Amino acid sequence: MIFAHPWLLLGLAALPVIWWLVRASPPAPRSQAFPALRLLADLRSTAESPERTPPWLLLLRLLAAACLIVGLAEPILDPGHSLPGRGPLLIVMDDCWASAADWAPRSAAANAAIAAASRTDRPVALLSTAPGPDGRPPAIIGPMTPEAARARVAALSPLPWPADHVGTAHALVQWHMPGTAVLFVDSGLAEAHGETAFRAALTGAGAVTDARAAETAPLLQTPLSRDGHLILRLAAAPQPVDRRFAVLAQGSDGRTLDRVTIRLAAGATEAEAPLGLPTILANSVTRLQLSGVPTAGGTVLLDDQWRRRIVGLASAAGDAADAPLVGPLYYLNRALGPDMEVRHRPLDQLLAQPLSVLILSDRPLPPGPDRDAVVRFVRRGGLLIRFAGPLMAQNPDPLLPVRLLQQDRSLGGALSWNKPEHLAPFPSNSPFAGLPVPKDVTVSRQLLADPASLAGASIWANLTDGTPLVSSAPLGQGRIVLFHVSADADWSSLPLSGLFPAMLDRLVRLSAGSADTGGNARLAPAEIMNGFGDLGSPNAAAAPISAADITTVLPSPKAPPGLYGPAGGRRARNLGGILPAPVPAAAISGAARADLSGAHAERPIGPALVAIALLLLVADVLASLALRGVLHGPGGGVGPGPDRGSGPRRPRLGRRIGRRARTTVVIAALAVTGLAVTGLPLARPAEAAATPVPPCALQTCLAYVVTGNSSVDRLSRDGLASLSDFVTSRSAAILASPVGVSPGQDDLSLYPLLYWPIIPGDAPPNREAIAALNRFMENGGIILIDTEGGGTGAQGSGAGLQPGATAALRQAVAGLVIPPLMRLNEHHVLAHSFYLLRDFPGRYQGAPVWVAAAQDAANDGVSPIIIGSNDWVAAWDMNSDGSFPYATLPGDDQQRLYAYRFGMNLVMYALTGTYKGDQVHVPAILERLGQ
Amino acid sequence: MALKPRPPRDAALAAEALGGALPPLLVAAERVAATVAQGVHGRRRTGRGDSFWQYRPFAEGDAAQRVDWRQSARSDRLFVRETEWEAAQTVYLWVADGDGMRWHSPGAPPKRDRATLLTLALASLLLRAGEHVRLLGGAPHPASGRQAAPAIAALLGQDSPREQPLPPQHRVPRHAHVVLIGDFLEPLEDIRAAIGYFAGIPVSGHILQVLDPAEAELPFRGRIRFEGLGAARRAAGILVPRVEDIRDLYHQRLQDQIAGIAAIAAASGWRASLHRTDHAPGTALLGLYEALANR
Repeated sequence: MIFAHPWLLLGLAALPVIWWLVRASPPAPRSQAFPALRLLADLRSTAESPERTPPWLLLLRLLAAACLIVGLAEPILDPGHSLPGRGPLLIVMDDCWASAADWAPRSAAANAAIAAASRTDRPVALLSTAPGPDGRPPAIIGPMTPEAARARVAALSPLPWPADHVGTAHALVQWHMPGTAVLFVDSGLAEAHGETAFRAALTGAGAVTDARAAETAPLLQTPLSRDGHLILRLAAAPQPVDRRFAVLAQGSDGRTLDRVTIRLAAGATEAEAPLGLPTILANSVTRLQLSGVPTAGGTVLLDDQWRRRIVGLASAAGDAADAPLVGPLYYLNRALGPDMEVRHRPLDQLLAQPLSVLILSDRPLPPGPDRDAVVRFVRRGGLLIRFAGPLMAQNPDPLLPVRLLQQDRSLGGALSWNKPEHLAPFPSNSPFAGLPVPKDVTVSRQLLADPASLAGASIWANLTDGTPLVSSAPLGQGRIVLFHVSADADWSSLPLSGLFPAMLDRLVRLSAGSADTGGNARLAPAEIMNGFGDLGSPNAAAAPISAADITTVLPSPKAPPGLYGPAGGRRARNLGGILPAPVPAAAISGAARADLSGAHAERPIGPALVAIALLLLVADVLASLALRGVLHGPGGGVGPGPDRGSGPRRPRLGRRIGRRARTTVVIAALAVTGLAVTGLPLARPAEAAATPVPPCALQTCLAYVVTGNSSVDRLSRDGLASLSDFVTSRSAAILASPVGVSPGQDDLSLYPLLYWPIIPGDAPPNREAIAALNRFMENGGIILIDTEGGGTGAQGSGAGLQPGATAALRQAVAGLVIPPLMRLNEHHVLAHSFYLLRDFPGRYQGAPVWVAAAQDAANDGVSPIIIGSNDWVAAWDMNSDGSFPYATLPGDDQQRLYAYRFGMNLVMYALTGTYKGDQVHVPAILERLGQ
Repeated sequence: MALKPRPPRDAALAAEALGGALPPLLVAAERVAATVAQGVHGRRRTGRGDSFWQYRPFAEGDAAQRVDWRQSARSDRLFVRETEWEAAQTVYLWVADGDGMRWHSPGAPPKRDRATLLTLALASLLLRAGEHVRLLGGAPHPASGRQAAPAIAALLGQDSPREQPLPPQHRVPRHAHVVLIGDFLEPLEDIRAAIGYFAGIPVSGHILQVLDPAEAELPFRGRIRFEGLGAARRAAGILVPRVEDIRDLYHQRLQDQIAGIAAIAAASGWRASLHRTDHAPGTALLGLYEALANR
C-alpha cells in the first residue's frame, strides 16, 4: 500500500488535540418552553448528568477524523510495478485477432502502467500493432497525458486481422525519447513477416517489459465435410498439457444446436472432432464458435456454399402459366419464397447451369433432347419435382415415380355425388412428416397412380381415401417427386394453403447442394466480424473481393473476415481458413517478463475511507441528537403552528432535515411527472400507415380512362353512371359509381371493363400506360374503345362527325397488343349475353364494332378489346330528371333503348365471359338428356 | 391546533355538540340567589311563575281578570288562581388565560381551547335549563335563553390574551354559583386568597384544573433548558442536565399542588376536579354536570 499524498498523514498528529477539544465540550442543551416552570425550580436529582462527552462518542469522532485524514492521503492498494527509466512510457498494445480472448486483462495491464506513469508524472504514448479499421498503418499516438492515454486505451478494441509488425517496426524506429519505458502487451504469436525487425525496434525504443498470457489464442479452422459429416478443426500453439476446447454450433437464430469438445493433446498443434448432428440440423448451422469469450479467431461462419440450392422453374416463352393468381408458376414462385434462389428460365438454359432442384409444372417431356437432359440431371443427383395437370393427364411420360392411369379423377363436381377429399396425416417415412395438415385443404381433382406400379415408389402424402397425393422414386443418384395435383388452385386448394410452401421447403432441403464458385464476380462486404466475432456493418477500408479469392486473401482492413456478396448468396470469409496456424513467438531478448494474468488494477481506497468518515460523522450527529433527547419524547415531531412562541421550540436541525426532505420529495415528484409527460408521446404507439383501400376493391364498378379533356371525362363518367344504374335495376349485377383511372398510375386489376374514349388531338398514352393496358387485357380485362363518331368516309350515322378519328385511333393503340379483329355480328356472345341484339347502336348507328376474332383459350374466349365509334356514353347519358342531353342520330326511340341493351350485354360479357355462350345450348342439352 | 380564535358560532356549535348528550343542567341550588329573574327554581310561595301554586278565594281588591272562572263555576264562590314564584339561579363562569394557558405539547390541544370548550358546553347546558349564565368580569347582565350561547362564545374567543392565571375579585351576588376553569399552577397561597374571596361572599363553586399531558408527566429526556412563559419568560430558564432524573420529584410536586387545591376547595365547601387535555372533554363535562346538579 502506498499513499499518493503521504504528507497529509501529518494530520494524524492533530488527533490528540481534537480529542481534547471534543472531550471538553458538553452537548448544548435544548430549549423547551414549559408553563409549570415553577414546579421545576430548585429540583436536584441524585444522579448527575454527564457534563462530558461519553467515551464511545469520543472514540467515534476520533475514528471519523482518522478515516478522513487517511482517506485524503489517498492510499492505494496493489500498486503496479514501478516503471524503469525516467522518460515517457510507451505502450505497445497488440490488438490483433489473437488478443480478443483476454482483452480485459490486457487493458488492465495497460491501465496499470498508465496509473504508474501518472503517479510519477510521466507522459504516455500508445502504439497499437494492428492496422486500424480505416486501413492506416500503426502509428505512435502521443506522448500525451495519462488521462488522455487512458481514454485512448479504453477506445481500443481487438481487430479481426493479424498485426502489422512491419508497420509497427517502422513506427518504433522513429521513436527517439531517452529513458523510455516500453510495455509490450503481447499476443504471444509470431507474425509471418517482419518479426525480427519488430523485436529489434522494440528493444531499441527503450527498456521493454513483455506482458503476455500463459496461453496464446487458438484458431478455429474452417470445417471439412467428410463422409456426410462436418469435421471441426482447431489449430493452436503447442502446450505441454492436454487441453480441451468446446465448440458451439449455432443456428441462424443464435440457438446453440450442439456442443462439440475437441481435445488437443500435449504438444499437438491441431485437433479435430466430428459434428454429430443429423443432416437436417447440421444444415441449419450457420456459425461455429469456441466456447468462452467470443473472438474472431474462434468463430467460423458457414455460408451456403456447400448447401446452396438453386431451384429452377422451367418456363416457356408466351406461356400463360405464370399469369398472376391463376398460373401454376405464380403459385410456385410465391411458395418458394424470397429466401431461395429461384431461377425462372427455359428448360435448356436451366439445365446448362448448376441446379439443385428442377420444378416442372404440368409439362410433358416428349422423347427428345429435353427429356435426355432432365434424365441426366436427375441421374447426377438432381431433384425433379413435377406437378400434374391436364397436359400430363393426356400424355404421361415415363419420367414419373409411378405409372399413371390414363384419366384423372374428379371429386365433388356439380354432377357427382362424392365430396372433395382431404389430406391424410403424412406417413412417418415421408419428408413431410410432422407438418400439420390443415383441415381446409381439399383435393377435387387428381391423377391416379396405377396400383401395380406403387411397389417401386414411395408415397409421401396420401388423401384420406388412401390414394397418393405425392409420390417419389429414386433415379440414379437423384430423385423424382410427383404431386398428383396441379400447382395452381384449379385441382386442389393445396397451393392456397400454408402447407404448400412448407412442403416445398422440405423438398428443397432434400436436394444436394450445388457448387457454384461464382467465378470472378466481385463480392462486396455485407457483414463484417469485429474482433469479438460479432457481425456488423463493414469498416471504412473494406473493399469488394473477387469470388475466387474469397478464401485465400489474407485478412486485413481491406479484406476483413465476415460475409460477402448479395443477400441470396452470402460467402463467408473466416480467419481460420486463411491464416496460417498460430506460431508462438520467442521471448524478446533483454526484456523483463510480466504475467498478464498477474496484472491487477490498482485499488485506491481513499474514497472509501472518506465515505466511511462521512458515515461516522452522520452517526455522530445522530448520537448527539439522541443524547440531547431530540430523537425521543415530545417536541421531536411537528410543533405548534406559528403562534407567539408559546409552544416548545422545535429543534432547528429537525426542521432543516424536514424541509430538505420535503424539497427532495417535491423535486423527485416533478422529475417523475416530467418524465411521464415527455414519455407520453414516446409511449404512444405509432399509428400504422394504412394504405387506403380503393373503393372498387369492395364493389364492382366500371372504369373509364381519364383523358384530361374535362368535357370528355364528364361525359364518360355520366354515361357510365347511367349505364351502371340501368344494369343495377335490370339485373343481378350491382354496380357502384364509375371511376376514372389513369393507366400506368392506377391499379387496373380491380375493374372488369375499361371505357377508353379516343378523341383526335389527345396525346397518345405513354409507355407505362400502354404496358398497364396490355397487362390489363392479358389478365382478362376488357377495353371498350370508342372514338365517339367516325371520320370522314366512315360508315354509320356518325360518319364525319369526328374528323381524324381513325388516325387518332391508330396512334393511340399503336403499342397495344391487339389480337386479330373481326366485325361483331349477331352470333357473337356479346350479341346475346343478356338481350338478343342484331344491332349495336350508340348515339350513332351503323358503324361496325370490332372484337377479337380468335377465341383465345387462355382468356376463356373473351375478347379483350372492343372497338367502335358509336359514341355509346352519349346515348347512355341521362339527366337526373330522366331527360337525355344528347339526341340520337338518326333519332329513333328504339335506338336509345338498343344502346342501353348493348351496354347491358357489354357489362354481362365483362362480368360473366362466355358463360352465356354455353347457356344458349342448354335447351338442346336438356332435350338430349331427356331422351 | 393553533390558538386562532374560532368564530363564536362555530365554538358555540362545538360546545352544543359536546353537551348534546346530556339533559339540561338545572343547578341544584341550596339557596337561590336573590335575583328577580324569573327561573325554574320554585320559591315555595306565590309569585310570578308558570307553575300552579294554589287557588285562593277571591278577595276584595283583586282584579276581575284574575278570577279563575273554570274553578269558580264548580261552586258558588269565586276563586283566584295563584302561581308559584319561580326564580333562576345565576352561574358565574371563568376561564384562565395567558401564554401558559395557550401552550400545548404536540398532539394535545391548548389548555385554553379545552377550557373554553368546556365552559361553552356548560353554559349551553345551563341555558337550556333556563338558568342564567354570566362570565366573571364579563357582561353586566346575566344572559339567559339559548340565544345567549353565541354571545358568550364571542366573549370567550376574544383574541387578546391577558395574563389572568387566577380569577379576578369581581362582585358576585350571594348564593350564586361560580365555576373556575384554569391550570392553577400558581402558588397555593395565591389560589387560597382568590378562592377565599368568593367563599366569603358567600358563593359556592367548582374548580376544574386543566393540565397538559406534558405538564402532568414531564416526558422530556436529556439535557434541557426549561424556559418560562408569559411573565416568567423574562426570568432565566432552568437548566436541567437530565430530565429523567428529576421526573419523580416533579411528579411529587405536582401531586402536592393538586392536593393543595383540593384542600382549599374543601375548606370553602367547594369541589375541585382535574382534567387532562389528552383525555376526552366529555368526561370532564360529565364530572362538572354531576358536581353542579347533585349538590
